[in-house]
Amino acid sequence: MSKKILIVEDDSFLQGLASRKLTKEGFEVVIASDSVKAFEVLEKGNPDIILLDLLLPKIDGFEILEKIKAVDKTKNIPVVVFSNLSEDKDIKRAKDLGALEFMIKSNFTLDELADKIKFILK
Amino acid sequence: MVEDLNEKIKTLEEENEKLKRLNDAKSEMISMSAHQVRTSLSAFKWMLKMFLDGDLGELSHEQQGFIQKSFDSNERMIGLVSDMLYANKDEDASIPYHFENTQIEDLIDNILFEFIGEATRKGIEVIFLKSGSKLPTISTDQIKIRIVIQNLLENAIKYSNNHGKIFISAHEEDNGVEISIKNTGIGIPEKEKGLIFTKFFRAGNARQKETFGSGLGLYTAKNIVEKHKGKIWFESEENEGATFHIFLPLSTD
Repeated sequence: MSKKILIVEDDSFLQGLASRKLTKEGFEVVIASDSVKAFEVLEKGNPDIILLDLLLPKIDGFEILEKIKAVDKTKNIPVVVFSNLSEDKDIKRAKDLGALEFMIKSNFTLDELADKIKFILK
Repeated sequence: MVEDLNEKIKTLEEENEKLKRLNDAKSEMISMSAHQVRTSLSAFKWMLKMFLDGDLGELSHEQQGFIQKSFDSNERMIGLVSDMLYANKDEDASIPYHFENTQIEDLIDNILFEFIGEATRKGIEVIFLKSGSKLPTISTDQIKIRIVIQNLLENAIKYSNNHGKIFISAHEEDNGVEISIKNTGIGIPEKEKGLIFTKFFRAGNARQKETFGSGLGLYTAKNIVEKHKGKIWFESEENEGATFHIFLPLSTD
């Protein structure tokens, strides 16, 4: 059974690349471009891990994270924040809200990201 | 008279407020644009790496070479944006520092791991001379000290001669640890030595060798080291190379 990743990301170029690479690495990838789509996916069943961008249209990633962690059904899904925000205050806020990891997009390649996810799901 | 003075103070206070707001707005604009630039640069980084790894099909030797160059150049742009973001915030006294016990040699090992590839491709040998004995742990904000060491290493690589050598060492000094990064390369011209840590300054020979650079790396490094109550200095001879030293005290108390 391949592991399921929910990627919450609004940039279509980044979506396409991440989806292609992670699928190739053997994951089942579901993409959500905004919070509405993300919660629709979660409604249908839990993914094994969530990759969450922070700057999103309307409801941002912090708020999505807060909601995920507030609900019993979803609170144990590991959430990796994957954003280009890099200020200490953003990192701290995401961690305080329950993010397992905070990865700055421009500091990682997708193979490194895949390794990280595999490590978390081991 | 007193009224006049009060009036003046009031005007100055208002002006000051205005400038502060302007500065905040500018700072916010830089943050937002940097975020967007980073998003594009991330996409390029991911895509180029997928090409390099053969995820998008086999590459010819020539294609591999060009794509590697694009990847490296993209990495430099990412570094530039990070420097810019940092410099944008460094005057902000509210930037928190989180000090924790650090084994500096472990941290250096970790950072070197990221640089070996680039150095090897450029034919530069990086040699880490570890101190024979175990160094005392020092109190640092590891994320920020990482930026310092990265900046010094990037410079050491950028301004090396082909087939140059870079030596890194760390040893215990009076109530602290001293880290040195030495390269063989273009060095720093005598008359520009006094300006090297100034914001946006780049030495003439550095600009000639590498047109690309923000002039923020050493400025940022100095800033961070001083927040650790440490010191940063260098020795250099033009066309021979440069050695940068950082002293970090055991504790910042």
